[in-house]
Amino acid sequence: MLLPSRVSRVGAWALFFVLFVPVFGLPIVVVGAASIAGQWNDVLPSHLTLRHLHDAFVSNAGVELVTSLATGVIASVVALVIGTWAALAVRALRRRGAKVIGTLFVLPIAVPSVSVGLGLLVAFSRPPFLLNGTATIVLIAHVVLVTAFAFSSVSAGLARLPAHYEQVAASLGGRPAYVLFRVTLPLLTPSLVAAAGLCFALSMGELGATIMVYPPGWVTLPVGIFALTDRGAVFDGAALTVLLLVLTLVVLVAVSRIRTRASYR
Amino acid sequence: MARTGWVWVVVPLTVLVVIFYYPLFFILRQSFTGEGGHVGLAPYAEMLSSSLFRGALLRTIQIASLSTLGCLVLGFVLALIVSFVPFPGARVVSGFIGTFLAFPSFLIALAFTFLYGSAGVFNFIAMDLSGATQPPIDFVYTKWGVILAEITFYTPFVMRPLLAAFSQLDTALIEVASSLGARPLRIIREVILPEAVPALLAGGSLCLLLTLNEFGIVLFIGAKGVITLPMVIYGKAIQEFDYTAGCVVAVVNIALSVGLYALYRFLISRTGGGRAVAVQG
Amino acid sequence: MADAAVMPGLPRAAAGATATAQVRSGIRFDRVTVAYRSTVALADFSLDVEPGEVMALLGPSGSGKTTALRAVAGFVAPTAGRILLGDTDVTTMPPFRRGIGMVVQQYALFPHMRVEQNVAFGLRAAKAARSTIATRVAECLTMVGMAAYARRYPHELSGGQQQRVAIARALAIRPRVLLLDEPLSALDAQLRSGMLNEIARLHRELPDVTILYVTHDQVEALTLADRIAVMNDSRLVDVGTAQSLYQQPPSDFTATFVGNANLVPVTVEAYDATREEARVRFAACSVVVRANGGVTPGERRTLCVRPHALALESPGSGANAIEAKVVEVQWRGSAHRLYLDIDGIELRADSKPLREPPHRGERLTVHFASHDATLLAAAGPGRGAERGRG
Repeated sequence: MLLPSRVSRVGAWALFFVLFVPVFGLPIVVVGAASIAGQWNDVLPSHLTLRHLHDAFVSNAGVELVTSLATGVIASVVALVIGTWAALAVRALRRRGAKVIGTLFVLPIAVPSVSVGLGLLVAFSRPPFLLNGTATIVLIAHVVLVTAFAFSSVSAGLARLPAHYEQVAASLGGRPAYVLFRVTLPLLTPSLVAAAGLCFALSMGELGATIMVYPPGWVTLPVGIFALTDRGAVFDGAALTVLLLVLTLVVLVAVSRIRTRASYR
Repeated sequence: MARTGWVWVVVPLTVLVVIFYYPLFFILRQSFTGEGGHVGLAPYAEMLSSSLFRGALLRTIQIASLSTLGCLVLGFVLALIVSFVPFPGARVVSGFIGTFLAFPSFLIALAFTFLYGSAGVFNFIAMDLSGATQPPIDFVYTKWGVILAEITFYTPFVMRPLLAAFSQLDTALIEVASSLGARPLRIIREVILPEAVPALLAGGSLCLLLTLNEFGIVLFIGAKGVITLPMVIYGKAIQEFDYTAGCVVAVVNIALSVGLYALYRFLISRTGGGRAVAVQG
Repeated sequence: MADAAVMPGLPRAAAGATATAQVRSGIRFDRVTVAYRSTVALADFSLDVEPGEVMALLGPSGSGKTTALRAVAGFVAPTAGRILLGDTDVTTMPPFRRGIGMVVQQYALFPHMRVEQNVAFGLRAAKAARSTIATRVAECLTMVGMAAYARRYPHELSGGQQQRVAIARALAIRPRVLLLDEPLSALDAQLRSGMLNEIARLHRELPDVTILYVTHDQVEALTLADRIAVMNDSRLVDVGTAQSLYQQPPSDFTATFVGNANLVPVTVEAYDATREEARVRFAACSVVVRANGGVTPGERRTLCVRPHALALESPGSGANAIEAKVVEVQWRGSAHRLYLDIDGIELRADSKPLREPPHRGERLTVHFASHDATLLAAAGPGRGAERGRG
């Protein structure tokens, strides 16, 4: 016990809550309050209303919600397939090769999202890839940004997987593909699910690259939220933000449920 | 085995090259393509000497380093309490920190405008107390607002590796140290801090990398005087359609952050902070 | 089965439902070397395991025994040499074609499969018929006494139960060769001796299966193995029946690693060829020991005598008596261990529990029969001789 006396312990906890609650709790509370505020001309909001949240569903923000969901799901699935494939392939390489290729796959983490968007804008506005102004370019941007996370998350899972499962499976006559689908991937399920959740959450909140490449017909939630707050509709923006958070949280909770069930031991 | 292994890399690598490295190459190419299609260093000469760029570079580095410093201090204190002065609900706090990482950064910027903005809660409080007619709090629209928002958002990125490192610290070390008569501050300095160094280095450099590239917070706060490199890229390419200028800034920004990322990986491999990798979700 | 056509030497028992009479095949290591970069994990290793034999690979960690086993399974590729299963050269054959049953220390039961699915894994992989799978799984689970647990998941089983399932899973494919890699080291002492009997029984029931058993525990090796290959420093040191290695260890390493022998440097004084006995001297003592030939007076040798061969009371005529000082006395439940000093030479003696054990510093006489000691070649510089303490 670092602090043996009760007084000092209570002091430490007090310090913690003085720091933690205003810094992390207050922002979320205040955005939540704004989403149901009719007016906010004093310390506390007044004329509480569900209008903003309601509007979010019926107005074009509803479309943005669906757009974000679609983008998040598609980008996560694609990123998971590429990332898992890459992680499995890299594991089969010799050390030096694995290191080089592995670095190539995680490098997008280090590139600013705005630059990723700019690159896609410049490169895909000319043959052979004419994608500027399509939804595809938004999807590609999201895939680029989350694949690196899927790759490193699955790679970490693979590294933790003891080699003897696959070896015993092979000794029992399991061919490589059979072992992959019957042993390796089932054992990797917790990592895969966690990676999927992470990818989805990141994609849902992505702003930097999307704002560079989005076409008028494919506006994601964060872009929509920015447009709203930029023209002063802050309460509507807050309502959409709350929706975004709730959606993300629901997916994360679902993921952690599946994850506990998938980790048998 | 290893020779046939390369066959399987080809498919994902091709996808990656097309969607990431190919665009990266075009950023580089565009950055050297001046007006009228002239290839040369002229775009760089022009951009690097502009006061817009210099100011943005300086401000970006300043904001990133101050934010990182703040994250390290706040993260260390909070992680210390959660780990070593445990209280009921400490697990909830850890879980909360985990989910905080998955939220978009602009959430904090939005909240800051409600809290500290000119029509924000604290300004109303201040005006009620002092009787002033003008909102007295205006730091949100300065670099300090951005820095505070970034500290709020990125502190969990420092806390995660720290909590992981602290959970592996043998509590017997602390018990032995206190049985030998060391006071808490001495234990923190001489037992806990050395163990936390790898996690602090890893978390700190990750933080620096992310704050260097932060876009959502700066965009949402929308302070006129606070222009960072990603904002310049956005402004040049999207608002002025000057792709070349945007690409020049992007090249500088990418070089900066890839360099930092290399440092981060180096620190992790060097200090064995790999167990506490924050990037790996 | 396409596999069976590819490798006529290795008919896949898993595919054939009626194969009761098995083809027997041994394992041959033919000058096998395994090297990773600069480190050699197995050096010039040659060993013949007879069909149906239980061969133990015994050695300390890092001795190369596990590498040898993994080379048979196909998980490490030899840098030189060949490995044969029966008449088939399997050196470059991928693991899944070898038809080998394997049980590892950590059991490695697939956690997402029920017990019966685990046991059926190899049969499913070989696309055996449903009915074959069902009967074979039931048969193998019954054989290891786990039939009642077929529907359980591995995490619902104890360590010993998991080990039984792992063995059943390996046996289900009717392997001609079974590899056991430290299968008991994760069990506690009591379970371990039970499982040891179990494995011995299984081998009596399946006499055609060749077993390669890797262990660092001499008791396991002595109990189970027909022959023991003693390994050290990536090399084969000695190979022989358990009894011969124990009673007449060919080397000082084997003498200490198998049975913790006392090794004492001695000088040969005389040799009696008719009685096959030599008189040797160390410190102030002169003793008579068994020696079958090749001993010349004046030669330096190493005397090998096991701690429990040293007795406090005289066994009668023909025994050697040595006067020694007691350095330390330890009570070990079933025995008293005495650390003795004879003019700077340390001897360990295990006696029956003593009602009145000697005190430290006391002088006493220990005895051993001449046929309980052997002469080895003079010990190399420190090799192995410092092992076997305690």
